[in-house]
Amino acid sequence: MAFRSGRRLGWVAFFCGPAAVLYTVFVVVPLATALWYSFYGWQGTTRGAPAGMANYAAVLGDYPYQEQVLKAFWHNVVFFAGTMLVQNTVGLGLAVLLHRNPRGKRMFQTLYSLPYLISPLVVGYLWSMMLSPAFGPVNAGLQAVGLDGLTRPWLGDPAIALPVVVLVNAWQWIGCPMLIFGAALAAVPAEMEEAAVIDGASAWKAFWQVRFPLIMPAVGAVTLLTFVGCFNVFDLVFALGGSSGGPGQSMDVLGLLFYRIAFQGGVNAIGLSSALAMVMFVVVFGVALVVDRSLRRREVPW
Amino acid sequence: MRRFIAGVLSMVIAGGVAACSPGAGAADGDVKLSVWGWRTEDVTVYNKIFEKFEGTHPGIDVEYRAYKNTEYNTILQTGLSGDSGPDLAQLRAYGELQPAIASGGLLALDAAVPRLASFPAATLDGARGRADGKIYGVPFAIQTMHVVYNKKLFADNGVAPPQTWQQMLDGAATLQRKKIIPFAVNVRDDWMIPIEHEIFGATRYGGAAFEKRVLAGEAKFTDPDYVASIETYAGTSKYWQPQFSGVGYEDAKALFVSGKAAMFPGGVWELAGFRKSAPDIELGIFSVPPSPGAVLDKAVTPGFVDGSFGVATRTRSKDEAVELARWMATPEFGQAFSDQLIQISAVPGTAPTDPLLKQAFDAYTANPSPYLMYADFSYGTPPGAEVLRTNVSAVLLGTGNATDAAKELQRSVDTWFKPRG
Repeated sequence: MAFRSGRRLGWVAFFCGPAAVLYTVFVVVPLATALWYSFYGWQGTTRGAPAGMANYAAVLGDYPYQEQVLKAFWHNVVFFAGTMLVQNTVGLGLAVLLHRNPRGKRMFQTLYSLPYLISPLVVGYLWSMMLSPAFGPVNAGLQAVGLDGLTRPWLGDPAIALPVVVLVNAWQWIGCPMLIFGAALAAVPAEMEEAAVIDGASAWKAFWQVRFPLIMPAVGAVTLLTFVGCFNVFDLVFALGGSSGGPGQSMDVLGLLFYRIAFQGGVNAIGLSSALAMVMFVVVFGVALVVDRSLRRREVPW
Repeated sequence: MRRFIAGVLSMVIAGGVAACSPGAGAADGDVKLSVWGWRTEDVTVYNKIFEKFEGTHPGIDVEYRAYKNTEYNTILQTGLSGDSGPDLAQLRAYGELQPAIASGGLLALDAAVPRLASFPAATLDGARGRADGKIYGVPFAIQTMHVVYNKKLFADNGVAPPQTWQQMLDGAATLQRKKIIPFAVNVRDDWMIPIEHEIFGATRYGGAAFEKRVLAGEAKFTDPDYVASIETYAGTSKYWQPQFSGVGYEDAKALFVSGKAAMFPGGVWELAGFRKSAPDIELGIFSVPPSPGAVLDKAVTPGFVDGSFGVATRTRSKDEAVELARWMATPEFGQAFSDQLIQISAVPGTAPTDPLLKQAFDAYTANPSPYLMYADFSYGTPPGAEVLRTNVSAVLLGTGNATDAAKELQRSVDTWFKPRG
């Protein structure tokens, strides 16, 4: 028995080893390094004296970082809420439509998922060209049909820049919730909803009270993925608004702020940016845990 | 089997060691100097310029290696602290240079390169260590800021390069009536905002005179003249492209080179790109005349040091590297740099041969003005330019005013700036 379990352990190590090594080298080590770095003052790339929590205090408490962090954090929150609202509800709607009408399902799934094969940087540059007031087809199209009043500087208008980012992001990723919800819907036996309908429930009620609770695990997964994606977003916003997130920093997010501190941040850039990175990690990880727990509680067994 | 594997392994290891051993490539005994920089587009020209040096210094091979502009700072930092770094390196200027000095990766050149004494103090500031006042590089280029204009569009519409502020606005109004965008301005990628502010606002706040007083602690950004300079700059937005806040850097340049816009406020570094993408447009430049109420009574040309070449502390050929740095401070290098890279050399005693650059250089030499946010207020975090551009863009968007923008700038600068006085 001992021999067999030893051999089994060997196989486990054989199959999991490479992944574990890669994970350690590329995830655990950089994380630990950032944590370590964040407790020191830095002179360029030379590590200075231990600084205790000073870097954290500076990033979270000092002017002007505090304001910037709060503003960027709020933008991340809005970005997440908007994405949940637009991308995931529309994604769910599309999944339901395709589930009910299997005609052309493959084609539509492929079409809707195509944009996420493109790098977010490319998507950002494409859309910044489309939305450009100087040459962009969006304003030109509106003018062509006589809707001049609706033309906007889009990414340069602080009131609508962030919603525009939400829409562009949704345009790219809508295929993701659609596929996940689609798979989850397909896994729910049709009899359950049919039984509800026979009992007199409307289609609306049957969906929300029978089918939807059964796809809760998928809802949880999509919510978590959206949350992590929205709080770590960088490339799309960078392409749309540059490193300061557009005029008036109306699209500034934590990822951009980190970039600015790390690469344009002066002598102690490593200390401050590592501290901010750790704060971001703790927030994303912590909230993800809480969200995961609370969503799991709402899942129904069947 | 085991013996076979051991044999293969030992062969691999032996091969690896041989490939890594020093001197493997320099069998001829020459000293190889590696110069790092960020000008990927200029590698051939730099190497050609260095051939002059190699000609007079037999036994020294110089190679210019360029890395991606946006990643260069990080690559250089790593290079300077390791063993496979450069012998000499192209360095950013002012505040952006300080991290490299602070890590101890660069040699002070004050004594090693005597010619540095002939450089103007303002030029040397671009290569000076903030903490010890020593010079860590030989400055190579000066960048100046102007309004670039399309000569044909000006002539066709009866507009001349302005001598007064009013003439500039009248010309802009004429162009606008004829459906030509007067100024193509970049607002969305807001890093250009402090540059545009200098171009239009320097005379209003007082340029070098204000710089002196603010550095001595006698003036603040909240002073009425500086506040008014932001308003002066924002006031020209009447003549910018429609919905300017949504127009980015590439778009603004495209408006200019496509002939839709007649003027582009920016640096001389744009000229090469404009000439390449629109060879048939004849370019002109002018410096903006003093605005109403301006502190200065004549047009000034804002400019700054682009960077310098420094010697790495860890170089294994210190004497040769310092010799190359000395050569980079001579007019021979400066003139070659100017002629072949079409830039304004920072070396005294040289002048650009390109007529437009010559005009820029002459204007700057006659009436220079500092790029305040880079030359003096890039030493803390966040840098002054970042605070200014965020708050001035609020003015441009109509969500803030100049007084508050200046107040925020002063408040942020106060967290790290100590007046010299």
